Amino acid sequence: MTHDVAVQVRKYLIVFAALLALTVITVGVSYLQLPRVETVTLALVIATAKASLVAMFFMHLKGERPMVMWPLSLTAFLFVAMLGFLLMSEADHLFGTKFGDAFQNIFD
Amino acid sequence: MGTLPYTTDVRPDTGLTNPKLGIWLFLASEVMLFGALFSSYVLLRIGALEWPDQSSVVSVPFGAFNTVVLIASSVTMVLAWASLASRLPGARRGDAQAQAAGLGRYRLFMGLTLLAGAIFLVVKAFEYSDKFSHHLYPSTNVFLGLYFTMTGLHALHVIIGMIVNAYLWGPGARMWRSEPERFTNRIEVAGIYWHFVDVVWIFLFPVLYLL
Repeated sequence: MTHDVAVQVRKYLIVFAALLALTVITVGVSYLQLPRVETVTLALVIATAKASLVAMFFMHLKGERPMVMWPLSLTAFLFVAMLGFLLMSEADHLFGTKFGDAFQNIFD
Repeated sequence: MGTLPYTTDVRPDTGLTNPKLGIWLFLASEVMLFGALFSSYVLLRIGALEWPDQSSVVSVPFGAFNTVVLIASSVTMVLAWASLASRLPGARRGDAQAQAAGLGRYRLFMGLTLLAGAIFLVVKAFEYSDKFSHHLYPSTNVFLGLYFTMTGLHALHVIIGMIVNAYLWGPGARMWRSEPERFTNRIEVAGIYWHFVDVVWIFLFPVLYLL
């Protein structure tokens, strides 16, 4: 047990360094003035990577029991469904004739 | 008064202690709460005719600083737990002397976690008052409405986490002597909540400051 925890402490510090590096990267990228789609995609990918590191190592989700994983999977599914259904109210100009125009607001 | 069952023993049918299953179910509901706000943000921004340049309204350096502060507080929180977990009775360093040392280390790291939470709130309060002094209110535009709602709800979560952590740092820490394993699990569960608050900020920062 003692040995395990000692190893974990080193692991936590490595995760800490990775999280700091990803924070620097995400701020740096925002100053690059990349095209809108690339900026949004990159920011969300980096945020998801950071959140995954925190969840897996700090929240001990890595190797956690199925009884935790099942409700969380259901939650993820329900969140995507909620977002999807909400976006349908904008479907006329998201998926209508002006597909590209719909993204002008966020991507310009 | 009887104690809750399965706080240290794993419940055979779930494979978990009750507090651990409880905190994850609570966090699942929290995901939907914050998820509704993130969904509203996406919907309102896509539908908006105009949107301010966010990074010129809010301060990216302050937001980035607070991101680092919260990440650091997550690290100290998990180290607070590790200080106890490595000195439980039965562990190689599980004798009485090691247990006393473990409590000292735990108090140090939990204290640092509380300090980081306080720094986060002070910076947040400074950001808010800066907005108000420039006559920027939740009613000013849709972006600021979302900004104050989402960061305000998040700050409320930081405050609640700090109240729980402060109790566990002070009077709650007595349990380490009487029921060390139960107390260690308590710190883990409080930590899982605290890390979730960190995860929410990890998404709030790019969405509200950078994009």
